[in-house]
Amino acid sequence: MSDASKTHHTGLIGSQPKPVDGLQRAKIAHTEEGFPTAWLITPATIWLILFLVIPLISIIIFSFWENTPGGLIPAFSFEFYGEYFYTEGFFDPDADRFLLPSVFIRTLGSTIYFTLVTMFLCLIVGYPIAYFLAMQVQAFKWQLALFLLCMVPFWTSYLIRAVAWLPMLGRRGLINQALLGMGIVDKPVSFLFYSEFGYTMALVQIYVVLGIGPIFFSLAKIDKAILEAALDMGATPFQIFREIIGPMSLPGVAIGMIFIFVVIMGEFATAVVVYGGKTSTAGTVILNYYGIANYPFAAVNALMLMLAMVIGIVVILRIVDIRKEL
Amino acid sequence: MTVKKGNASVRGASVKMSRRKFMGTAASVAAAGTITGFPNIVQAADPLRTIGLGVSIINEIQGKAAKDLGFKIRGQALGYGALFGKTLNQNDQYDVSECYYDMFDVMIPSGVFQAIDTHRIKDWDKISDLTKTGMLTPGSSIGQGDAPVRQIWVDKDGKRAKGPSRYISGLPGWHNADSLGYNPDDTGRPIESWAELFHSDFKGRVALLNIPQVGAMDAAMGMEALGLIKFGDKGDMTRKEIDVLIDFLIVKKKEGHFRAFWETFGQSVNLMVSGEVALQSMWSPAVTAVNAEGVPCIYASPKEGMRGWHGAITISKKATGKRLDQAYEYLNWWISGWAGAFVARQGYYMSTPANTKKHLPADEWDFWYEGKPAAKELPDPFGSPLINKGQVRDGGSYEQRFKKIAVWNSVMTENDYLVKRWTEFLTAN
Repeated sequence: MSDASKTHHTGLIGSQPKPVDGLQRAKIAHTEEGFPTAWLITPATIWLILFLVIPLISIIIFSFWENTPGGLIPAFSFEFYGEYFYTEGFFDPDADRFLLPSVFIRTLGSTIYFTLVTMFLCLIVGYPIAYFLAMQVQAFKWQLALFLLCMVPFWTSYLIRAVAWLPMLGRRGLINQALLGMGIVDKPVSFLFYSEFGYTMALVQIYVVLGIGPIFFSLAKIDKAILEAALDMGATPFQIFREIIGPMSLPGVAIGMIFIFVVIMGEFATAVVVYGGKTSTAGTVILNYYGIANYPFAAVNALMLMLAMVIGIVVILRIVDIRKEL
Repeated sequence: MTVKKGNASVRGASVKMSRRKFMGTAASVAAAGTITGFPNIVQAADPLRTIGLGVSIINEIQGKAAKDLGFKIRGQALGYGALFGKTLNQNDQYDVSECYYDMFDVMIPSGVFQAIDTHRIKDWDKISDLTKTGMLTPGSSIGQGDAPVRQIWVDKDGKRAKGPSRYISGLPGWHNADSLGYNPDDTGRPIESWAELFHSDFKGRVALLNIPQVGAMDAAMGMEALGLIKFGDKGDMTRKEIDVLIDFLIVKKKEGHFRAFWETFGQSVNLMVSGEVALQSMWSPAVTAVNAEGVPCIYASPKEGMRGWHGAITISKKATGKRLDQAYEYLNWWISGWAGAFVARQGYYMSTPANTKKHLPADEWDFWYEGKPAAKELPDPFGSPLINKGQVRDGGSYEQRFKKIAVWNSVMTENDYLVKRWTEFLTAN
């Protein structure tokens, strides 16, 4: 959002919370001094160091090890990084793999593709739901109740739900029975399940809530008085959305998209259960190499996946400056 | 439902375990590989530590062994990948590894096991010729790939030895032969060849096992049966052969020939019960589980032969003194009969059939080993009814089944290349 529009908004907003004045600031500082805040983050820090930082460092170390018939050997080898990026025949104009990225890069690419498609669909499906909850439902108690209702799918393992789709979407599922019964098709359609369609549908269904939550919260924070003021000054609903609601909900959208992005990039179970294992994701590649005890290469794949995720998050944060917007 | 549960624990549970534990164990497995210098001090009260797949690590089995032998035994059930990794990289973390002969091209050169002295195996002479000569009965074919007879003989130091020796790499245990399962109502004809896996009649109704080493072998059986290629050794394909195979599979995948690729026992049962597939590579207890759901499913006996696999109980090189004595006691117990009868009720065979027979009521022996119709309702290992009266085991008797093993599960020399190309197959769309 540009500074100009920001100023514009400030002009509209008479009821923005006032900046913290001197007295309040002193009070807050006092509380911070009086309370040993450093201790508050100690458990989390220890937890993260033990279970995130150290494992992460070991993954980086393993990625340079050698995998020999006699087991793993500590080394500083770039062999598996080469394996990840380079395909035989890449530089050979006569080979059928000329300039074809390695299968691992292609797999990461298709993982990113499915992630982006799912994020887009989650936004289209999730935003109106969040908007409805925050803007149309007046009573707080109903907002809360409906929001909790969105959470219901999380009450069971999503794998259980994934299995439950089979009787719905499968060859002998309800939809096919209905289609056959109505004479619309003469044999069961199979694109509903174990298919790209089914896979994308499942990902959206499973993860859309991760988007609805943050968008709902940022929409709910918008002061209704601003909207009324805009209406009074003759703004059209579209203008209000474009100038006020849209920009003000961007942080929620960004946070929701980051949640969805991170989770789907690491996905592997849904591809197995709903897509019938007919695609590889970056996650399944890691599993495959773990399965043949080639830990260094599994580590390289894990690091590349992580790198892609970091880049993705940076890109999202570049588009929306969450700190500024909050 | 208990019927299926009993069966589901066979292999599916273990594979699922590996998925779930993956993130946690990946680092720790490798980390422990770095720390090898710690002395392995064994306390008398410490249990004997054994690891394996869900096929052999079952509370009932290790519990009964502990009761019979009078010392504690702690079993840890792992997925195939985790078992492979732990056996190879952490032999100070187990005393006994209940693994498989197809892992031995990696395990024997790495020196993680100690040679097992057959003079300390009480029932050594009762172990069948399947692992000693490769032929269960005279005239059987040994089969390609990592047949147990090619992996079993070692010298005193655990190095490979030619021909029969006093020392072995792993004690022969449970085993079976796998092929294709099919729903006869859907296929409309009996399936008698692996070639049917790629028949256009079943387009969109076929599933393969998504474990590259095994799935590729099943696909190779099909391709060879179609006469498209003659593999030198399906258990040890060359890069060229792997390329031909995977390129063919990619074409078939793009045509929409495959409905799914399954990874766990439960998935394979689900695919058949829900009618999604007509024909798929399958493990034999899964066929029993499908039947238990009331869905017709037949285990094919392809004319080209089946794909065999064989469990091997091994002792870590790090086991010494009292711990080593206990390991030998445990090995001797495994083949003494009770465990053989237990795994028989899951459809697996044991290396000492004579001992198994002593622990199995005649009705059950006739059904599981002789391939005769069940004289009455028969139970699974946990006592729930599994087999209806009159039911016949597909594939015939033990001898018939193992007379013609086409290929044994194997880890190929070009394993890494195979996994890479398999990934490409899965990614292709």
